[in-house]
Amino acid sequence: MTTAFTYNSKEFRQIIGQLDMQGHADHELSTCSVKKIYYDEVVEMLNGGKSEPEIIQSYVDEYGQAALRTPGGGTSGWIAWGMPAAGVGIGSVIVGVWLRKLTVKKAESKLETKAAWNSEVEKEIAAKTFDEERRKLF
Amino acid sequence: MYLIGNISIYLGIVISLYGIIANIVGVKKKSSKWIESARGAVLSLAFVASIASFLLLYLLGTSQFQYKYVASYTNESLSMAYKLTAFWAGNAGSLLLWAFLLALYATMVVFSKEKKNPMMPYVSSILMVNILFFFTVMALNSNPFEMTDKIPADGKGLNPMLQNPGMILHPVTLYMGYVGLAVPFAFGIAALILKRMDSEWIKLTRRWTLLAWLFLTLGNVIGGWWAYIELGWGGYWAWDPVENASFLPWLTVSAFLHSVMIQERKNMLKTWNVSLIILSFILTLFGTFLVRSGILTSVHAFGDNNLGTYFLVFMAFMMLFSLYIVMTRYGLIKKDSSPIEAYFSKESSFLLNNLILVAAAFAVFWGTMYPLISETFTGTKVNVGAPYFNKVMAPILLVLIVLMGICPLIAWQKAVFEKFMKNMLWPLAMGVATAIILFVFGVNGIYAIIGLSATSFMFGTHLQEFARGISARRKATKENILKAAFKLTVKNQRRYGGYIVHIGIAVIAVGVISSHTYSTEVLKTVDAGDSIKTGDYSLKFNKLTEHTKNGNGIVVADIDVMYKGKDIGKIKPEKIFYETWPEPSTEVAIKTNWSQDLYVVLSSWESKDKVTFMVKVNPFVSWIWMGGIIMVIGTAFALIGGRPTTFRHQINKGISRVGG
Repeated sequence: MTTAFTYNSKEFRQIIGQLDMQGHADHELSTCSVKKIYYDEVVEMLNGGKSEPEIIQSYVDEYGQAALRTPGGGTSGWIAWGMPAAGVGIGSVIVGVWLRKLTVKKAESKLETKAAWNSEVEKEIAAKTFDEERRKLF
Repeated sequence: MYLIGNISIYLGIVISLYGIIANIVGVKKKSSKWIESARGAVLSLAFVASIASFLLLYLLGTSQFQYKYVASYTNESLSMAYKLTAFWAGNAGSLLLWAFLLALYATMVVFSKEKKNPMMPYVSSILMVNILFFFTVMALNSNPFEMTDKIPADGKGLNPMLQNPGMILHPVTLYMGYVGLAVPFAFGIAALILKRMDSEWIKLTRRWTLLAWLFLTLGNVIGGWWAYIELGWGGYWAWDPVENASFLPWLTVSAFLHSVMIQERKNMLKTWNVSLIILSFILTLFGTFLVRSGILTSVHAFGDNNLGTYFLVFMAFMMLFSLYIVMTRYGLIKKDSSPIEAYFSKESSFLLNNLILVAAAFAVFWGTMYPLISETFTGTKVNVGAPYFNKVMAPILLVLIVLMGICPLIAWQKAVFEKFMKNMLWPLAMGVATAIILFVFGVNGIYAIIGLSATSFMFGTHLQEFARGISARRKATKENILKAAFKLTVKNQRRYGGYIVHIGIAVIAVGVISSHTYSTEVLKTVDAGDSIKTGDYSLKFNKLTEHTKNGNGIVVADIDVMYKGKDIGKIKPEKIFYETWPEPSTEVAIKTNWSQDLYVVLSSWESKDKVTFMVKVNPFVSWIWMGGIIMVIGTAFALIGGRPTTFRHQINKGISRVGG
């Protein structure tokens, strides 16, 4: 016997969350007739025994990749998903090279021995406080 | 009225042109009279823009339906507040608002104490080019004072979604942010034209940039709040193209606000900073282009293809002009840069922060534009909706949160790794403790737990920074904790203002991660007297009533709410049927406490006794609004204070001498 699926079923939400519903996905259900049709269709298909991939595929067959809220497979999908990662990768390389170029190598640098403060914050706060006191006195 | 309105628009064009020419002549002839005259032109622009704006407000307020704009966006029954806010409900009015704000900003800039600065004629010219564009577009394409052929008995009314307090604040704050970015952009370009490669322009525009960023933050947060209470789908950010367009300059300006600190201290990243501010300004134009062109589907669109073309041309012109200026000055910008002392330093960490922020902007831009790109180049129609952005942005924003936890602990010039690790111990412990507590209490969702732990780590860092500063001050002054805390913050507004902003972001992050992961939703039809149970809530539906208000039909559901078995009062979701609008409007009913929102929508009804509700429990959503307020307070704090960096240099030199 098939389970009676409703709008509250986990399976229903899983499927409906993937559908663009012709641009109506973010509309409020009660005022959007297009979204309501999609909701009813998906519940009907689930109750008719169709699985999630079958339902998704039926919409892709009808509307193409535009049926989904995210780019699917194929070249177009790969480019869509891959480009932000490529952007971060290329950006990292550029910043790395840039940093290397900007950094002066000072093998003999002993800056840490100079700092008598526990932290940069402490150093700056103390300096400002000294300055305040100095201005009060002089 | 018609004449006054139109004359002020055409005068706007003439005066802007005159002002630009007067500046050019003044600079060429080195004549202060011409430059003074150009300054007068800016003031006159503010005057004519004010006349046009107040006139439009008057026409809207008095329902003069012989004007197309008034008839298109208002009607007799609309309340006065919304009649007036219809000013920015359509294209023509929002363009006038833009021109008005720009003219006001330009006046404030050219009459500031820096009015004798040699950059000023260039700055005012660049601002006037912008003003000229807006007045020209109004004259040629979207005139707010255009008359109707036949005077209608009543107007079409305002879109019900716009009849919300958010309408009063969201567009104005966002425009103030957009327009505000024109000022640092103008100063940046002016500095390049004059070949002044120092950080003067950055110091002069620090407050302008912060102010613009404050308004962008406010605009985005209010936009989210508006969507949450008005649109009825239970969310606050849909990654809609126009939302993305307002988020883009926010990201790039955030990067700019961090990287300018390096230029101020080390006189480096000059090309990068000027590029960032140019990019941010261009992105504001891009956002406006997206809203007005209608090239992408959006809830915000007031699509008009012609107007989109104007913006596209102007955006291209500004981009090419900026690019030309940067390229011709590139050699000069590269000179006189100080090097970074070490890889492990605050300077490097800021570069990393810039990388992440710009990468985030790129990802948002890419996702927003990809449907167009895909269709143009591959012929495949695709959608890039919220699930895509959530997946792509989550790791980027996670890295950003971790960086926000790490960067404050890294010292300028050269950080000592052992000290850094020692300083990181407590915040790290806080992050780990958060993860353990969440696991112990059976909280699901590994990604959410990672996100919340990272946020806790970031929050811990800032808490520790405050504690360390207070302790350092107390060591030196023997003040009590409260006085030390107050004085520490007041005397270092720029640093601690920034930290307060970071804390605001941590609070927002808790809200976003929790509501995204742990929100529950039930759609249920109930008979009168029946209850819906969800989470700790039990909602008993009593009755459905109808009444009219201002000529609109209102259907209200009466519901008793119990929370953990305790009566916490009533909740009344509504549907409003506007006379002038085909679709009914949803009025969400929300009950908020510190940890969750009960969000109820009256979905539909078969009869007065059989009604369908959508009930959501959204955890920690109120933290998003609270975080937004904290961010605004922090920004305002940093805005008021902040010493010039020359003072910092003196301190550093002094300390070096003491240390040596």
